[in-house]
Amino acid sequence: MPKIEVNEELFFSLLGQRMEAEVLEPALTSAKAELDEWARPESVPASERIIKIELNDTNRPDLWSSAGLARALRLKSGGARPMYSFFSREGDRKPSKRKVLIEESVRKVRPFLAGFCVSGKPIDDAFLKEMIQTQEKLAWNYGRKRKTISMGLYRSAEIQWPVSYKGVDPRTVRFVPLQETREMSLLQILAEHPKGREYSFILEKEPIHPLLLDSRGDVLSYPPIINSAGLGAVQVGDSELFIELTGSDLPSVTLAASIVACDFADFGYTIEPVLVEYPFDTPFGRSVTFPWYFQKPLSVDAGRASRILGKSLSVDIVASSLEKTGSRVEIHGQYVSAWPAEYRNDFLHQVDLIEDVMIGIGLENFPPERPRDFTIGRLSPIELFSRKTKGILVGLGYQEMIYNYLGSGKDYIEKMGIDATQVLRVANPMSENFEYLRNSPLPGLLGTESISSKAAYPHRIFEVGKVAFRDASENYGVSTRQYLALLSVHAEADFNEIASQVATLLFYLGSDFEVAEPAEGKEDPRFIVGRHARILVAGREIGVYGELHPRLLEAWGVGLPASAGEFDLDLLRR
Amino acid sequence: MEAAILAKSLHQLEVKVLRAYGPDEDLDAMRLVRELNYKEGQANQAFSWLLAKGLASETGRIPRTVYEITPLGREYAARGTPEERILRHLSENGAARLPEIVAALGLEQKDVGSAFGLLSKEGALVMDSEKRASIVAGWFEAAHGSGEKPRVALVRDLLQRAASRVDGLLEEADLVASEKAVLAGIARKRGAGDSPFRLAERERVIYRLDQNAAEVAKALDALGLTGEELGAVTPEMLARRYWEGATFRPYNVKSPTARLIPGRRNPYVEFLESVKDKLVSLGFEEFDGGLVETEFWNSDALFMPQFHSARDIHDVYHLAEPGFAKSIEEPHLSRVAAAHENGGETGSRGWNYSFDRDFTRRLILRSQGTVLSARQLPTAKVPGKYFGIARCFRYDRVDATHLSDFYQTEGIVLGEDVNLRTLLGFLEMFAVEVAGAKEVKYVPGYFPFTEPSVEVHIKHPVLGWFELGGSGIFRPEVTESLGVHVPVLAWGIGIDRMALMALGLNDLRELFSPDLENVRYRRAKM
Repeated sequence: MPKIEVNEELFFSLLGQRMEAEVLEPALTSAKAELDEWARPESVPASERIIKIELNDTNRPDLWSSAGLARALRLKSGGARPMYSFFSREGDRKPSKRKVLIEESVRKVRPFLAGFCVSGKPIDDAFLKEMIQTQEKLAWNYGRKRKTISMGLYRSAEIQWPVSYKGVDPRTVRFVPLQETREMSLLQILAEHPKGREYSFILEKEPIHPLLLDSRGDVLSYPPIINSAGLGAVQVGDSELFIELTGSDLPSVTLAASIVACDFADFGYTIEPVLVEYPFDTPFGRSVTFPWYFQKPLSVDAGRASRILGKSLSVDIVASSLEKTGSRVEIHGQYVSAWPAEYRNDFLHQVDLIEDVMIGIGLENFPPERPRDFTIGRLSPIELFSRKTKGILVGLGYQEMIYNYLGSGKDYIEKMGIDATQVLRVANPMSENFEYLRNSPLPGLLGTESISSKAAYPHRIFEVGKVAFRDASENYGVSTRQYLALLSVHAEADFNEIASQVATLLFYLGSDFEVAEPAEGKEDPRFIVGRHARILVAGREIGVYGELHPRLLEAWGVGLPASAGEFDLDLLRR
Repeated sequence: MEAAILAKSLHQLEVKVLRAYGPDEDLDAMRLVRELNYKEGQANQAFSWLLAKGLASETGRIPRTVYEITPLGREYAARGTPEERILRHLSENGAARLPEIVAALGLEQKDVGSAFGLLSKEGALVMDSEKRASIVAGWFEAAHGSGEKPRVALVRDLLQRAASRVDGLLEEADLVASEKAVLAGIARKRGAGDSPFRLAERERVIYRLDQNAAEVAKALDALGLTGEELGAVTPEMLARRYWEGATFRPYNVKSPTARLIPGRRNPYVEFLESVKDKLVSLGFEEFDGGLVETEFWNSDALFMPQFHSARDIHDVYHLAEPGFAKSIEEPHLSRVAAAHENGGETGSRGWNYSFDRDFTRRLILRSQGTVLSARQLPTAKVPGKYFGIARCFRYDRVDATHLSDFYQTEGIVLGEDVNLRTLLGFLEMFAVEVAGAKEVKYVPGYFPFTEPSVEVHIKHPVLGWFELGGSGIFRPEVTESLGVHVPVLAWGIGIDRMALMALGLNDLRELFSPDLENVRYRRAKM
């Protein structure tokens, strides 16, 4: 979830009022935002203080900036919808003085670009920081670490238009990137430049790399890696900028450009459209003027909204609530058609509009209601059976334990001396300590023994929990089962003790069981040969118990004899 | 300790000593043996307890010499010494050669030889020309008539006296000169295995009662305790009714108790079960499922697009082998795929991308409990309420607030008329009934599979405000694709913070502590 830092003075000036934390905190909830931190030392002026805010809605990148967040709060409290008249749309293309030409050569690697220019006032330090943050949040969170969206800012006054966007040979093309003074080839940048190394995963397998140049051939940037040290070095004091976003999906790139354009407009900049010409068909045609409004209206039924929200809502209330979340609305009978705000594209289904209605009305205006449907509650059969089992084991003097399910191959396989193919392995473990999914609770119990030699004896411990193992008969090739394992460790622990306890347990569980010797060659390697037994219920093996082999005890660092048992409760219950 | 309390905590062995003696008397074990009829062990025990309670002190130690009967000596006491047996044999059977005596008595030749040597030196036996031994005529009479017992009789006395005592000891101080002389010949300090007595140096420890003992004795008197009270209730006491008219020795009911190691439930598991019981009491039915899931049920069925950032390789654990399920159930697969691609028949626009039918079969470790809700939908009853506490797995670095596997508590409510306000009603019930909250607030939330979505925050009596859980109404893309045509409330509550508080812990890893002693002592406030 994105976290942003907003400049206190900048934020409140965008909001149109100052707020104390007690007011800001509840106000933020309408944007699914939380106040994370707001240190307010007297010694630091408001223009330098920072408010940290966490945003929960991953489908609302427009909220991940001071301007976007302030705009949402303004609208919620009754502010007017801002008129972003610089948007072009179907049948209403705004004139543009500048042009970007897309070349066919970039189509395979990173085909789409959206861009516009801004002018009107010199940028200051706080605003530059804000822009860098917007760029990072859009590219990192919404653009999946720049893979699907990246953004660049340039000094547009220096650019010789038109700009072209094309694919080039990364071995031969060279320019001076930001934070460098020498010319480097694109491959060199990927290998040596810090940003190159960070984002090389996006391009390393591509033969042709994207490049943005002006008509003189001066490089603007190497998307999505790094700007040039010339046209791409935006500084405090610049008042004319070119902003572009590139990526792999045109609607996302277009929306991201719209979000940035609206933010600039809110800061008082004039937005100057840029025409982008494609040599291939795009969802928005071959020539697109950005910022471009592409969103489609969606219709919501006031009746359905009333049913879902549990409150009778008139069509007018539905419409006015939607306006509070930025939509433009038209009423048709009991339906409201909503055009999403220019900076939003998160309406997939009318339920998304219904949530906006809820937010527009305010969640505090929906009193909770006791449910009326009668249903019978019950625990699952295996939970009931497990509880019965645990009760008997407690009576037999056993302490219940509970363990994590992920562990190491060393514990689950090596120390147990079992066949590794039974145990499920994680393909992408975070560390070898959490690489395997357990196929038995016994390693957990033995882990306790290995660290508890100072605990008063006897040690009698058990766990009831899930295990999983390979099972070719299942669709997943895997079975999950509820297992019981018990372990008794003390100077006199032996086969007879565990045998009596198992017999007692099974007696009270009401199972008719048979004790069988393992067939020759089918002994359980965890136990001493000749001192462990299989338990059969209705002819089916449901468990094993006996004296643990000294080899195992040594591997776990257990210095006393131990007897143990392991049972499949799912099978036993049947 | 106050004298009266102390008096009640005394054992009868102590009581009798305190009542029998004053502070100026020298006491030792033998005196208690003689005067209070104690066994020596009881006497020593009484002193040791009185010392520990500060009622007596050791005032001196006097070395003493004792003769302890050996196992051989006990055998002699029972069967007679070789000399006695030879004398008896000869007096009953007349003269005999030494080998004949050896054979008749089953003695060893050297024992018979040395016994003969001693007895003939004392003039009791004589050997004739045919090497037959016989008793010197008139020896018995002479020996007994002299007024001094013969050595053989003295040995017999000593053996019998020693054997009759539990400790088998003869005090040198209690012996007369002739006895000492005899013992000098038959007792050894070392290698006493062949001798009837072992010579040992011991110490006699002298004790005196302290001044406060008198006060305790007075308290005993006031309580009427004589030391003759009955001790433990025994089967014999019950059978013979000794208890009738007798009093029982009072015990100190405040004395520290011995540690027991009981069989016991794990408090964290009990906490989880208590939450289950609460939910059952609210009409929820428990569901369960496998630890290994497909991308399909874990995320696709929940309308999380396959390119969603939470589905990255760095968020979910993939299974190495087997890597994929054989198939995904129809019609669920086709309907879910359509919902993702263009909304299908769910009334949605869809995510507008090409759904990957191989990726959807990939096996992963269940990353969210909501899987169980999705799996329940195709067979769920309407109205219906379900819940599960499911072990889930996350690609997180393990620390005090993150675990690689942990429990999530999730559920659903299906009904023709359920809506946002009923959802809030449930959240309120969870907050009050499960979490014990006094104040509840709701704020809009975001979850990929619900719309609208609501977070519930509660003010806990101890923890203060925190987020109890997330919830919402399942998106139609989720429910319609799985054949459910009524609204479904979905909720999840975080109970780990409450578990930590109930168990007095502050580190999530401690919930799954393998430390036995730690778990044994753990108590839960529930």
